Amino acid sequence: MRSAGLGWLGPVAGLAGVYLLFALIGPESFHSARSVEQILRQTAIVGVAALGMTLVIISGGIDLSVGSVIALTTVIVAAMLGRDAPPLVAAAAGIAAAGLCGLLNGVLIAGLRVVPFIVTLGTLLVVRGAAKGLAGEQKIDAPLTWLADLLAALRPDQKWMLAPAGVWLMVALALAVSLLLRRTRLGRHIFAVGSNEQAAHLSGVPVARVKMAVYALAALFAGAAGVLQFSRLTVGDPTVAMGLELDVIAAVVIGGGSLSGGEGSVLGSIVGALIMTVIRSGCSQMGLPNWVQEIVTGGIIVLAVALDRLRQRRAARA
Amino acid sequence: MTQAKWFVALAVAAALGAGCGSREGSGGKAEGPESKAAKYTVAVIPKGTTHEFWKSVHAGAVKASRETGAEVIWKGPLKEDDREAQIAVVENFVTRGVSGIVLAPLDDKALRPAVSNAVRSDIPVVIIDSDLQGDEHVSFVATDNYKGGQMAGREMARLLNGKGRVVVLRYQEGSASTTNREKGFLDEIARHPGIRVVSANQYGGATTESAYRASENLLAPLKKGGRLDLDGIFCPNESTTFGMLRALQDSKLAGTVRFIGFDSSEKLVQALEAGQIDALVLQDPFKMGYLGVRTLVDHLNGKKVPRRVDTGVTLVTRKNMSSPEIQQLLKPDLERWLK
Repeated sequence: MRSAGLGWLGPVAGLAGVYLLFALIGPESFHSARSVEQILRQTAIVGVAALGMTLVIISGGIDLSVGSVIALTTVIVAAMLGRDAPPLVAAAAGIAAAGLCGLLNGVLIAGLRVVPFIVTLGTLLVVRGAAKGLAGEQKIDAPLTWLADLLAALRPDQKWMLAPAGVWLMVALALAVSLLLRRTRLGRHIFAVGSNEQAAHLSGVPVARVKMAVYALAALFAGAAGVLQFSRLTVGDPTVAMGLELDVIAAVVIGGGSLSGGEGSVLGSIVGALIMTVIRSGCSQMGLPNWVQEIVTGGIIVLAVALDRLRQRRAARA
Repeated sequence: MTQAKWFVALAVAAALGAGCGSREGSGGKAEGPESKAAKYTVAVIPKGTTHEFWKSVHAGAVKASRETGAEVIWKGPLKEDDREAQIAVVENFVTRGVSGIVLAPLDDKALRPAVSNAVRSDIPVVIIDSDLQGDEHVSFVATDNYKGGQMAGREMARLLNGKGRVVVLRYQEGSASTTNREKGFLDEIARHPGIRVVSANQYGGATTESAYRASENLLAPLKKGGRLDLDGIFCPNESTTFGMLRALQDSKLAGTVRFIGFDSSEKLVQALEAGQIDALVLQDPFKMGYLGVRTLVDHLNGKKVPRRVDTGVTLVTRKNMSSPEIQQLLKPDLERWLK
């Protein structure tokens, strides 16, 4: 029922391949330490959000509201900072608001039994609208605090950190989610619900509660990603991260997550997010026009999903 | 299973290889950088890449590139008008290590850390189009919006012979460029005691649709017996000008008042030809791209460059609109530079 533990091996090989390719054909700057740091920084937002999405996709669901939740979080963090709240409180308020959005998703999905695609398509619009309304349809300026340094390029005197705090946050959260999936009852339940909901229900798994927990957790991660997004923008922007949910879903799927549930790995999802950043960064540093970049990225996503289906069919036959 | 994943890696490599082939075809390259070994590589980063305005900026940048021999890389944010995407583009060029960056920031604050990072890495930045807070950039090359507003005010006073009633439909709260245009217009009008400003506190908002509604509301109380109890109208950008024009046309009042707008579009030029608009104040995006790159290359060559470069505004009326200089502004010959 549960996928083999080596599902992440393929994505890692893919990442190595893409990186080597750009190192060969791209400008020299591409394989500098600085370029690696930058790729890590640019991955952190999608990476953290992908952790939550991994849980959702393993449970057999989908969450389209991630991008909107990230935008709402940046608006709330900026608004709180503007009212002289300490940075930590502002960040906590942003993440809490995100969590509420997730709880709403969970309640609607588990309570009304509407499919996650439709519910989160709805909340995508609802939350985006709320973010715009709260911000008065403008971006919100905020005073500069240490929050802005979370994902900033390292200054020369910070080189000992190797990567900025936001990247380390992603690593820590990834470890936590990995433990949650492997070592806790909730983790086992998430796999059970995603593999076969009926069977899980019959064997006593509290399916509704598991789903609520999954969507709430996913939104909390989106909230954390939102704080990182705010750190990059230094302003609250209700229009940011439009369509980002697609990047996040793509990261999970490229990383071996199956849209029909029961499969996915934390490492795979992070690697999936890294693959997309490497492509973006590589194309950008080579000065390729945007349309080439979009076609390349799109092609990879379709390929990855097609292979996912192929693999499932093979697994079903076996 | 792993086999399948290896296939992904291969396919990715193939797709990328195909992508690279088209590199030569991109219009943003300076001619022959390979043969001459360009001395400088300059990244030009617009707010978006599809609008006419940015195509003109691009053409100007290419002209400067041909004159100076610097290689120009034209690269907009992957998502149009997305702050995050623009930050990522700036970062990528800093990591790649270009000689300098010409940037039209989508936000006067959000792009600041990215620009600081560039300057820390000894990559000078010239800002074009909209200002950036802070003083780390070499120069700010853009339209002097206050002057543009003054120009409109002077023309209005001339059209009205120094007396009459005028309104201003403002654009949006917090938009610095249009606020300066409105201020320039009102300051100039204030010098003519015979002209009364009937209304200058209404906002058209971001879209043509909202500007249309605002225009109707603004004009409604001024209608008296099928005519407007009004002599002149000024709108500070394209969307407010077009919204006001539509409102005037719909109530068959177009042409009965003196009407001055800002920026141009095909529809606005048609209205100018038809006498429904008396004058348009035009910016010069081509010059913005051109002077942006020129200023940066001058700076790289160790010349002293001014902190602020004005790219000029031009008043277009029905009389002068067919002159070659104005035609160049209204319909720039983009093909020549971007092909």
